[in-house]
Amino acid sequence: MKLSRPSVTQCTGLAFRMDLPAKKSQGSDWVVWQLVDSFFPTGGFAHSYGLEAAVQAGLVSDSKSLDTFIKSTLENSGSLLLPFVSASFKLPDVAGWIELDRLLNATLSNHVARRASSSQGSALLRTAATVYPDLAELGELRGVVRAGRASGHHAGVFGIVCGLLKLDALTCQRAYLYLTLRDVLSAATRLNLVGPLQAAAMQQSLRGFGEAVVRKCADRGVEDACQVSPLLDTAQACHDHLFSRLFCS
Amino acid sequence: MREKWTGELTVEQCCNRAAATRAYARYPLKLVLPSKVACSGIDAVWVYLVTYGGGIVSGDSISCKVSVGDHCTLVLTTQSSTKIYKAVQGKFSEQVFKALVAKDALLVMMPDPVTCFAAAKYKQVQHFFLSLDANLVLVDWFTSGRRERGEVWAFESFRSTNNVYLDGNPVFLDTMNLEQDVSLPISSRLQDFHSVAMLVIYGPRLSSIRKRIEERVGSQCEEAVRKKKHRSSTHGRLLCSFSSFGPSDAGLVVRVAAVETELIYDFLKQELAELSDLIGAPPYYGK
Repeated sequence: MKLSRPSVTQCTGLAFRMDLPAKKSQGSDWVVWQLVDSFFPTGGFAHSYGLEAAVQAGLVSDSKSLDTFIKSTLENSGSLLLPFVSASFKLPDVAGWIELDRLLNATLSNHVARRASSSQGSALLRTAATVYPDLAELGELRGVVRAGRASGHHAGVFGIVCGLLKLDALTCQRAYLYLTLRDVLSAATRLNLVGPLQAAAMQQSLRGFGEAVVRKCADRGVEDACQVSPLLDTAQACHDHLFSRLFCS
Repeated sequence: MREKWTGELTVEQCCNRAAATRAYARYPLKLVLPSKVACSGIDAVWVYLVTYGGGIVSGDSISCKVSVGDHCTLVLTTQSSTKIYKAVQGKFSEQVFKALVAKDALLVMMPDPVTCFAAAKYKQVQHFFLSLDANLVLVDWFTSGRRERGEVWAFESFRSTNNVYLDGNPVFLDTMNLEQDVSLPISSRLQDFHSVAMLVIYGPRLSSIRKRIEERVGSQCEEAVRKKKHRSSTHGRLLCSFSSFGPSDAGLVVRVAAVETELIYDFLKQELAELSDLIGAPPYYGK
């Protein structure tokens, strides 16, 4: 007996707008969730955003200094890197991206941060090109980075990937800050500074601060990019001198 | 593009010696060119950038354009720390600096630190355009404020931009911005440190100085992160590190933070001591 399939409208009680592409109405949430999921293989967990060096330099030693560290790192991400995320989001063409990547390379004067950025950017580019093979520009960018014509810095890759996926600009920038918080808390847990439950609670309690950083820094021009924590910047560049290291940066 | 600079300085070769062929300044800037700083045998022009009152008041903007000609050496320094007075009606105190450094020339910019008073707002923009084999030593630093009056990280805003371009291409774009924020005050970001400095070294004439700085700073950095002594006391505490930048990692940037300004003076005197062979006098001598 052939069962008649109920219509989608009957199932959900909603009337789907037929002119909206399915990707936008259902898929774009999945796209964002996948991008910020720790399961997405981009190597973020090899980097501590300078936390490991800050701990060994005596700058982070308790929950109060850890809280300050995380807030400073979020603020720094917003002030220094969000302009590049935003600019490459708006300009999803290869030539423009190469130029932005060059500027970002000159802006990342801290070699440890620079190294982490190009390593994570290359990993994101590789994964995104595999997951979205129909986005030919990603393949082109991979070629450019492999040929040494660009470093493939993370902020620029994240922005252009979001732009090519036609995500919302603000969502892209919020997601970038979310990733920063995710990775720093992950590092803090692995460095035994906090337990996983406490880290999850901190992730929630810092949400408001993160959103405030996005509100302040969203859509700033790259000429306004600036760093906001000279002490942590100094410590991060010490990373290669640490006696024992869990992280690459 | 600036219409009118408060100071303009040109150093060129004249009769086989470097000389200042243009040294213009108007209020609030003054240029002092003492002739006997560099010892005999060393061809270097020394210029002191002096501001009336030793500082910059709210709303004032000091701009200076400098040109260092082929094979010349110019040293720019100050008489004492630059004071930034409290902001009135939210107006910034400002400094703008632009330098062109030609073939085989050397620009050494080694001022005293900037000290912002409580509620001050300061921004400075410094652009350095280097020819392919030009040389640059740049020191940029600031303190926590008038500690003796209890003003510690009490300014409203401090923003410093240092951009270095090599043959027109950006190789170092660094802006540091400290703004008071209730949820993240400046003092929480700087902890017990009272002085922060950045030292940039670029150019073929500085390669052996650069190598020795890397060795010394590297071992100081190692000591700071490996020894536990910092956990019990902050006395004499200094944290430093270095990074390379630019094509073939030709540039060096050293960052330092210390609990006392004196510690950074000592650090700079030590790291830049060998520069006296090029500039004719020890950097920060007597300071």
